[in-house]
Amino acid sequence: MLLTAILDRTGLWVLQALEQIGDFVVLGSRAFRDIFRGPFDRRAVLRQFAAVGVYSVPVVALTGMAVAMVFAVQLHYGFKQFQAEGLAAQVEGLAIVRELAPVITGLMLAGRVGSAMAAELGTMRVTEQIDALECLATDPVHYLFVPRLVASMVMVPLLTGLAIYIGYWGGYELLVGVQGSPAAAYQEGFYKLLDLRDLWIALVKALVFGIIIALVGCWRGYRARNGAEGVGSATTASVVTSSLWILIADFFLTKMLLV
Amino acid sequence: MIEVVGLRKSFGPKQVLRGVSLSVEDGESLVVLGGSGTGKSVLLKHVMGLFKPDSGHVSVDGKVVDQLSRDELFELRKSIGMCFQDAALFDSMTVAENIGFALTRHTDLNPTQIRARVEECLHLVGLVGGGELKPSELSGGMKRRVGFARAIALKPRILLFDEPTTGLDPVMTDVIGNIILDLKAELGVTSITITHDLKSAFQIADRIAMLFRGECIALEHPEAFKTHPNPVVQQFLKGEAEGPFLQDPPPLHHYHGQPAPPAPRSAHEA
Repeated sequence: MLLTAILDRTGLWVLQALEQIGDFVVLGSRAFRDIFRGPFDRRAVLRQFAAVGVYSVPVVALTGMAVAMVFAVQLHYGFKQFQAEGLAAQVEGLAIVRELAPVITGLMLAGRVGSAMAAELGTMRVTEQIDALECLATDPVHYLFVPRLVASMVMVPLLTGLAIYIGYWGGYELLVGVQGSPAAAYQEGFYKLLDLRDLWIALVKALVFGIIIALVGCWRGYRARNGAEGVGSATTASVVTSSLWILIADFFLTKMLLV
Repeated sequence: MIEVVGLRKSFGPKQVLRGVSLSVEDGESLVVLGGSGTGKSVLLKHVMGLFKPDSGHVSVDGKVVDQLSRDELFELRKSIGMCFQDAALFDSMTVAENIGFALTRHTDLNPTQIRARVEECLHLVGLVGGGELKPSELSGGMKRRVGFARAIALKPRILLFDEPTTGLDPVMTDVIGNIILDLKAELGVTSITITHDLKSAFQIADRIAMLFRGECIALEHPEAFKTHPNPVVQQFLKGEAEGPFLQDPPPLHHYHGQPAPPAPRSAHEA
């Protein structure tokens, strides 16, 4: 009896998980397919570019700067143990471009933008605005998902570029301004271990993170139920799910792209 | 013509519709009465294709709604206007943008023509000059009227009203009832109206249906409906607490300091 109950519960859990994955894949595929289908609401698209990109500049700049400076402190302290402070700028450059800028940008946007998408679509769902879209012969996936997806695919890589730039100056301020390393040594060291492929890797990661943030945020909101409580749950679930997927995707992308 | 045939729908263990059948002729105004949770809104959402039935079907002009492809369904929806209970206005848009939404997406009208049509719709619902307001600036009655204006913008052949007067004061209820009558007279549409409000129901109905526990227990012309022999219909019309309408009626009498006596067994249970 106990074994049957355990199998029963496990089976139910697996079925529910498969159902959720299937639903996400179907809606995500529809969103990608609809990128190339009109009609487009230019204002809605521009609004999303502003919401995802422009309004995220301060938070990305601040976190990019803070993380770069903290990392520079740690590197300087660590390498000082071996009288190798000169390596700090090189490792700083490598870490910021390959990992810190895309991942920190992705995580910050999952919290700022993905949650907003889930809350907005969730509210639209529970107030019947999504049903109203359907009744006005408008596909909600096309109307709601596509502008957010396109905006995230474009703006997350651009913001990652910004985070790299800000990170460069964060490390500079700390290592040159505070620790007194020569400016020329920092400038040379920052790029020493990098080549163009590293920037490309960062932007590919950012593109994937943008897709994750938009699709998870929209999907969680679109499937919200049960009033305000459901919207709250959708928002939380959106941040948790997209953050986890960003970290998982980062691992696999790093393994694949560095080979 | 709208035909509902043996419509059944459950949500989990809860059976909401248990074989509802009814029809609405072209140009007819059908009012659907019933208590809360009897499946009235679910019925409307099946007509719109928002829900798929477990069994049975809804057909509009001979097209079975749940068998249409998504493109065919959208084409059908262009000919149906749906007015939601809480209006469901897009809160990021102005009133004019709400009303012009379908016109912008589904017609070749230029912005001037769209503005003219929006003004025309606002005039029909008595809200001239309110186009630049946001939904958050509107009262409940105004929201409903904007919802009506949005629903008629594409000049639909069918209008569906989901509890258009619930929560409104008696004057606004009468205003909404008159607007529905005006829309019917001016546009000649077929309509289904879900309501609890008997005054509006008799004001706008050509025929009245009553849903009770997921079944259609009466479908009559207003005068015949008033004298319908079903005790549920009569209890609903009289608005009495005693009778078969409530499954779990609350205690009817309160004695100071004493527990209320058990509720009398309803006729239905007997």
